Amino acid sequence: MIQLTNVSKIYPNGARALVDVNLKIGKGNFVFLVGPSGAGKSTLIKLLYREETPTRGQVQINSKNLVRMKDREVPYLRRNIGVIFQDFKLLPNKTVFENVAFALEVIGVAKREVRNRTLATLELVGLKAKETAYPHELSGGEQQRVCVARAIINNPALLVADEPTGNLDPDTAWDIMELLYDINKRGTTIVMATHARAIVNKMQKRVIAIENGRVARDEEKGGYGYDA
Amino acid sequence: MLNSSGYIFRETINSMKRNPWLSLASVVTVMVSLVILGYSIFFLANAANMAKSFESELEIGAFVQIEYTPEEVQDLKSQIEQMPGVESVTLVTKEQALEEFGRTIGGSQGNIVSDVGGTNPFPDKLTVKATDPQNVKALASSLESNPGLYKVRYGQDFVDQLLKFTQWLRWIGFGVVAAFGIAAVVLISINVKMNVFSRRREIQIMKLVGASNSFIRWPFLIEGLALGLVGGTFAAVIVGLGYNWITVYVQSTLTFLPVVQNEVLFRQVSIGLLLGGMVMGALGSLFSLQKFLRA
Repeated sequence: MIQLTNVSKIYPNGARALVDVNLKIGKGNFVFLVGPSGAGKSTLIKLLYREETPTRGQVQINSKNLVRMKDREVPYLRRNIGVIFQDFKLLPNKTVFENVAFALEVIGVAKREVRNRTLATLELVGLKAKETAYPHELSGGEQQRVCVARAIINNPALLVADEPTGNLDPDTAWDIMELLYDINKRGTTIVMATHARAIVNKMQKRVIAIENGRVARDEEKGGYGYDA
Repeated sequence: MLNSSGYIFRETINSMKRNPWLSLASVVTVMVSLVILGYSIFFLANAANMAKSFESELEIGAFVQIEYTPEEVQDLKSQIEQMPGVESVTLVTKEQALEEFGRTIGGSQGNIVSDVGGTNPFPDKLTVKATDPQNVKALASSLESNPGLYKVRYGQDFVDQLLKFTQWLRWIGFGVVAAFGIAAVVLISINVKMNVFSRRREIQIMKLVGASNSFIRWPFLIEGLALGLVGGTFAAVIVGLGYNWITVYVQSTLTFLPVVQNEVLFRQVSIGLLLGGMVMGALGSLFSLQKFLRA
């Protein structure tokens, strides 16, 4: 489903974020990206939803070439990719319902369908009772659930997450991981960059370690592998 | 697009509320530039109209040397009547001129001569009508060489000066309108840019969840258009009412001035001002969106 071929990314300031990365991630996989801060995990994530394009090499998702893709095609790619962030990126002046519905409204979905799908998705992430609350009235875990709901409401084939549990306490982090696990079981491919050792060790999923912009380790059912 | 129209409309209103003073400044500059444009157009139309009405006059005013006796004046008159290209010659004697003057200032008949200093200051005037407007200039210059006439006045003289003046006015008007127009576009562009900035989180998320670029742009584009259109509407109203007032005033006081009162021109200028406002608005939006909303 995802294929990176000889991908290098050098930022305009000269920073070499990725060096000659080759990767294949199959449909329905759950993949952890681990590695020290600044190793290139976030850059790799950004390549997947085409926030960045590689300096060299090719990125393909579902046999679509993201490097050759025209700017105006990007929105349609993103409708099939959900993105979750450490800082949630919710709109503070919109309710939970509105934040989630927003993802459908702005791609022109009909009003009635927006309502039905938003309610169904809020139910799925366990936030139906909080639909009229504003983000500042929610706990961190609840805010992240809103973010997850917004990311999956379009039934994307791929969900990418950049340290989704980074701002959460361990218990709440586990709740979110269970949610992601469920989503993955429904067939969505998940790529998650993380520093959460306990989570990576316990989940026993594929682990790709990035160090100095290179793939240092890639193992099925791997562990976090770095000392605390 | 149909599902999005409500969203776009809401966002446009919200963003105008967000920076009311800047919105006002944008509207006012658009308005000022278009008001100047509108009045310039009307002024030029009037100048052209005036020039045309003078051009169509076939008459030449020829003033007879003041010391000529009535007999000499009659001789001169019949002499001019014989010239080629002359259709008719009418004499307005100095007495008639004085009487006419007395009537316009409304004084009592008998006193005018003493009022103006004991002697009649008016010369005898021969109004020479040409057969063909093409001949007016040649006819006027041959009359100028006639020793019996001390001054020859004809429309072309005035028309030339008027045209020279309108030429200048056209350039100055163009410059002023351009300067205000650029200022208006810059202000609208700043306006839109500030709204893009204040909504950058929303835009970021819109891009993330796959809103198309055109969907993201629409509210800003419409905002610019709306600002321009409001400015254009005010300008059209001000120019329309103002011009109406001026024509009424001119027609009641300076009755001899021909004033353009053309419904079609009126409508064209109004529509032109509205369109002009929208173009300024669209330009302002596009300038700021170009930079901000790359993929």
